[in-house]
Amino acid sequence: MNELGDYLRGRRLARYETDPAYSVNRVAGRVGVTPSYLSQVERGLTRSPPSEETLVALADDLGVDRDLVLALAGKIASDLRQTITRRPTLFAELLRELRDAPDHAVLRLVREVRDGDW
Amino acid sequence: MIELRNDALVFSFPEVHPDAVLRVEFQRTLRIPSDGRTYPLPPGRGPFPLRHVDDFAERVPAGWLRHGGVMLPMYQAEALWISFRSPTGYPFAVKVAAGKIDAVTGKEWSEGLSQRPQNYLVHPGQPWLDGYVVEAGKIRQFVAMPLGAGYSAEEQLTGKGEFGGLQLQVFPLRRELYRPLPPPPAPDMMYAAAATARPPAAARAAPDMALGMGGSMQQEVYRDRRSPEDWDTAHTSRCFVHLANSMVWRQITGQDPPTVPPTAREYTAAGLPWFDYYAHDQEALAGSDALKGLKTIAELAKEKGHPALPENEPVDPTNLVKLHAKVAPGQVREGVF
Repeated sequence: MNELGDYLRGRRLARYETDPAYSVNRVAGRVGVTPSYLSQVERGLTRSPPSEETLVALADDLGVDRDLVLALAGKIASDLRQTITRRPTLFAELLRELRDAPDHAVLRLVREVRDGDW
Repeated sequence: MIELRNDALVFSFPEVHPDAVLRVEFQRTLRIPSDGRTYPLPPGRGPFPLRHVDDFAERVPAGWLRHGGVMLPMYQAEALWISFRSPTGYPFAVKVAAGKIDAVTGKEWSEGLSQRPQNYLVHPGQPWLDGYVVEAGKIRQFVAMPLGAGYSAEEQLTGKGEFGGLQLQVFPLRRELYRPLPPPPAPDMMYAAAATARPPAAARAAPDMALGMGGSMQQEVYRDRRSPEDWDTAHTSRCFVHLANSMVWRQITGQDPPTVPPTAREYTAAGLPWFDYYAHDQEALAGSDALKGLKTIAELAKEKGHPALPENEPVDPTNLVKLHAKVAPGQVREGVF
């Protein structure tokens, strides 16, 4: 199972078809890793997933969603981690509750300005 | 219901009509001189940041939590205006009060709409409100001073500095009277970032600000041509907007307040535009004698022996842009500084 590597490789090759700037060498150069390391990531041969910084750089370079790439690597963005750890039970419950909710129901989840006693 | 979106209060009434949405922003602006002259409309300098008071429950006064609502930061002697925009043109009646003193009638806050005297404004038609309505075609600019210092309309009229802040209540038109139309040319409040940072005027570290009477400005509040029964008083939303002294905004929120807008003199000297707004087919309300009788911040400062308002020299706006109701959209009330 190499979800992260397969996804990154698939996206990179899709772009490489029309743009030589998406070779392993050139993508690795832009995101600041060695070509052999990027190749290992794509084939799922690294012991641990790349750092958040590298994953974000890869996502941005390939034009894909940062949070999706982080999630495929078993990580969450630091700002989301802070949000969740501040109120872990509340947010865990909220996410589980919304798991099967349709998009429009999630988008209806709005916060109202509270009126009080004047 | 009311939501906070991108520093705007968005009032919506989906139970009345999907088009019933009103966006309200609090615009930063320069303070016009309080010198006996009557000035045209100053520009918008972008919205004040708005936050839920509940998000800072541990650091705001207990009274703010009781009132609920939102808060924004203002420096002492800073001015604001309120912009209204109904994207679909759905009509609304809007009550505006400062320190629970109705800004149109000068009477103490009461729930509900009245037409004798008219205690609300109607949007579309009324794109903004810059201050207290003192006579036909003339307002006194909303200018922030610390609550308790005796400058606000509330303190002058009631003898107490109890509430401060701003209060809004919105009533949609009754659904059966609504006729969808192409949206009116509500001037879009575009703006540019302020480039001039000035040290703020000295302020005590008490958080509550209240709105006093600043300089005189040409602005009409229009008579409602509908009858009071046309407004859906069964569906209304209201919001308390607390004005936090900018000096303590950072302590409360951890965020920097916006920089101070340029002075009227700096702005005018740079040749930047002031504005006039005309709606020839509308009748202006007469304004409130109670409000007209109040003293301006400049007059009170002189009486109290406090330092006069900073940067209060007269200016001569020469670059005047006329904004007309019912012309193509895209008119802006902005000045790039």
